[in-house]
Amino acid sequence: MGLNIVVLDPAHGGTDLGARGTEGIRESEVVLQFATQVKRALEGQGFQVIQTREGNENPSFDDRSARANAQRGAVFISLHIASTGLPGTVRTYVEPDTAVSRDPTGLIPWDQAQAPFVPLSHRLGDMVQAELAKRFKGSPDVAQVAPIRQLRTTAAPAIAVEISSVSVENREDLDRMAPGVADAIAHGVAAFRPSYVVPVMPGTPLVTQP
Amino acid sequence: MNPKWRLWLAGGLAVAVIGAALYFPALRRQVYKAKNLTEQTAEQARRELLPPAPVNSGEPRVKAQMYWGSRANDGTLVPVTVELPLSSDATLRAKEILNTLLAGPVDPEARTLPPDAALLAFYILPDGTGVADFSEALASSIPSGIQSEQLAVDSITRTLEANVPQVQRLRILIHGQEVDTLAGHLDLTQTFQVSMSNAGTPPAKSGVSVLTAPIQKAYEKMKRATKRQ
Repeated sequence: MGLNIVVLDPAHGGTDLGARGTEGIRESEVVLQFATQVKRALEGQGFQVIQTREGNENPSFDDRSARANAQRGAVFISLHIASTGLPGTVRTYVEPDTAVSRDPTGLIPWDQAQAPFVPLSHRLGDMVQAELAKRFKGSPDVAQVAPIRQLRTTAAPAIAVEISSVSVENREDLDRMAPGVADAIAHGVAAFRPSYVVPVMPGTPLVTQP
Repeated sequence: MNPKWRLWLAGGLAVAVIGAALYFPALRRQVYKAKNLTEQTAEQARRELLPPAPVNSGEPRVKAQMYWGSRANDGTLVPVTVELPLSSDATLRAKEILNTLLAGPVDPEARTLPPDAALLAFYILPDGTGVADFSEALASSIPSGIQSEQLAVDSITRTLEANVPQVQRLRILIHGQEVDTLAGHLDLTQTFQVSMSNAGTPPAKSGVSVLTAPIQKAYEKMKRATKRQ
């Protein structure tokens, strides 16, 4: 099965404004605008894009994960704007390695859904971050590792992309980053496409084609 | 009713109305005062009940390493050596260390935790898991973001690792409760590794822990932004 779908997650929304800057910048609004450009760039690379939210609503962490978990051949990308960090830099985050519970039924607990996908998430994260580092000076060369709640319950290669920051002097400084971020993510995911394989779940018998 | 009684009644009513008008502002002040008292949160009450942080003046002063933000190298933590009278008891020592971390460095720009956050309780389970219960302000005052939240947790785990070897893992509670995230991003449902050099929150692959800029500026900006709304 190939990689065809990208589930794009503009973080926060509704009453959860996310990070807030002194210039009235709200993370929940900015990520939605970034998502529009990222979606367009991904579609340009031939991906189908599903957003966890289209407007100013705030689905739960589990509802957002469920959008990705219901797909076959998908990756999950959560978009964030930081409060901190050198303005104009971008970082990609992936979950730390965790042991996968071995269940004889082959089912994986919801709260460990990301565990089998962590190696793939690291590869996807590194590829996206490499593209971001080319476009945004001062950004790290590789993906960072952090235990992020949104990623933990996602059964797909999953990354969070965080842009610095809401503390920019002018909102335009952030807006100018959007095309570069969109282009980097689209190229990173396209580069990852040949690496995509569905991991064999613990306890699941290997099924081979006759 | 004869006119005389009507007059008396009208006069009495007028006096009552004037008296009520005079008394009303004082009554309103009392109501507001009572309301404020009842709105005092359980956390505030708990903080007041907590004994002051023990000062072990009798304990020898030892060199402790506190992990605060680096101003020179944006986005990293650096160990700062300070001399403190530290208890030999692991639980007391962890409290003293974390209270010092919360008090912050001399340079407020290097602060990693919100200045209004407080440690409500700390205890160590027999398996070496430390449980740190922080006030609501740790979650509500920290600038929201993966980077800033990771910095906060990393500064706590690294500082404990450097000074309280008995603490091998750490659970973080907010106001006595397990919470999903610190401020919307970092997963607090898990136990953080302390003794294995951040196994729970591994450093960057390059070997350089890229965490975040010091959060003081972001904290101040967030406070200003919140006030405007």
